[in-house]
Amino acid sequence: MTSVQSAVEPTHQALEQAAEWFALLRSGEATPDERRRWQSWLERAQENRTAWGYVERISSQFQPVQSSPGRDAAAKGYCMANSRMARRRQMLFGLAALAGTGLSGLAAWRLTPLPGVVLAWAADHRSATGEVRQIELADGSVVWLGTGSAFDEDYSGGLRRLRLLAGEILIQTAADPARPFVVDTPQGRVRALGTRFTVRLDGDETLVAVYKGAVEARTAVTGSTRVIQTGEQTRFTDAALAATQSADPAREAWSRGILVTNNTPLADVASELQRYRGGVLRVAPEIANLPVIGSYPATDPDRALAMLEGVLPIRIQRTLPWWVSIQPRGGPVGSR
Amino acid sequence: MARGPSTAVASDAPSSQIESLYTHHHGWLHGWLRRRLGNSCDAADLAHDAFVRLIQKPRRFDSAPEARAYLRAMANGMCVDLWRRRQIEQMWLEELAARPKAVAPSAEHQVIVIQALLEIDGMLRSMPVKAANAFVMAVACEMSDKEVAQELGVSTRMVRKYVAQAMLHCLMLEARSVAIELPIHVNSAAPVGTGSA
Repeated sequence: MTSVQSAVEPTHQALEQAAEWFALLRSGEATPDERRRWQSWLERAQENRTAWGYVERISSQFQPVQSSPGRDAAAKGYCMANSRMARRRQMLFGLAALAGTGLSGLAAWRLTPLPGVVLAWAADHRSATGEVRQIELADGSVVWLGTGSAFDEDYSGGLRRLRLLAGEILIQTAADPARPFVVDTPQGRVRALGTRFTVRLDGDETLVAVYKGAVEARTAVTGSTRVIQTGEQTRFTDAALAATQSADPAREAWSRGILVTNNTPLADVASELQRYRGGVLRVAPEIANLPVIGSYPATDPDRALAMLEGVLPIRIQRTLPWWVSIQPRGGPVGSR
Repeated sequence: MARGPSTAVASDAPSSQIESLYTHHHGWLHGWLRRRLGNSCDAADLAHDAFVRLIQKPRRFDSAPEARAYLRAMANGMCVDLWRRRQIEQMWLEELAARPKAVAPSAEHQVIVIQALLEIDGMLRSMPVKAANAFVMAVACEMSDKEVAQELGVSTRMVRKYVAQAMLHCLMLEARSVAIELPIHVNSAAPVGTGSA
């Protein structure tokens, strides 16, 4: 299936780039060279100019506050009110969770929190949304960057150190007994003990899965450590390690651009595909738990969606090429 | 608008539908809102607004429970709006009061600022709170990444990420509302001949 992209309608990628340019240009830290690059980005395509037009429209909504003598008070008041309201919302969510009401449904319909943006201009290595890249490091270790991922590399001193900034990496370390290999995340440090493993940032958690050898995970704040063996995985925050579970060997398949499912709930499959697509991908709550089986091309998420539509009782509804909802197939069974 | 069809109207004329909805449900909705808000005046205002919205965007209901479910959902949203509005207003006024008199804007100007803040809140409402706050500080007060970082206790890199996330979020809403206003042009009926040999 081909969808027509009209000339003026910005792609999600153009919107992402516009948002990144905005964040850079307004930071006050853009170099003259970066400004020139923005200029040529703007000149390159109509859709970029349209996206930038939206940026200007949104910025202009701030104008009444910006020009007000009480703007600091206004912004501070807004932030305090917003934090207060968020706390209340959280409490209500907590209560709903205790009461066992259908929270997953609620969550599925919340506006998606934009996992696609990677804002690591300064990162040594990064991949675009939908891209999987393989990189060989100076010591012969190989790193696969998942969709929308970024990391910094620091081989100075007696340590081979990667800092994961976004997304997920699969690492195949080269042996070097003299220089330990570590991956740092905001939640802690993962030390390789001769191995193949993945590290993924998931909100305020790090997920480590080991496919060969072992790694040691250490939490940043509390310093708890645990060794994770071949075929195991665990999640940790900066304070605590969750129980070790068995790692699904199929998960590693993302490094070849394949999403392997095995009775995986549709909502999880969709959120994984969304990491490759960017934009919004929602699943109607009544079909969120449909089990999905089989392999899908993660790096071609639209084809994957079409394949899912072929095997499940679902309908893919496109408001925009990048704003997609998965709905139950309409009407009574068998009606045409 | 046509003169009120007071007698002998076709039963499905929209105005008579509204009339019937109003007679059957207004008292109930007002009571429901009063229990929720604990304030009869606010409840009366919101109940009134709910029916104004129904007049502006008429809907058909097949049964009374269906109509009440819809009204309740709408009123619920309006309560949240009202509550957010009050919070934002109140916090702003408290902040203003804590500052020297010289910076106080006129009452008229205050209304304009509140209106702008509420529109901004409408866009950012479903965002994580830190990202929304970082965005508002950065853009409304034209603060540098470093200043926002200090205020929020996060890294400057995080601030930039928050600002871009929030802007992207707003851009997506903007693009979507543009797309919905325009006639549907994605997956239009016209087949696309992409080299099907």
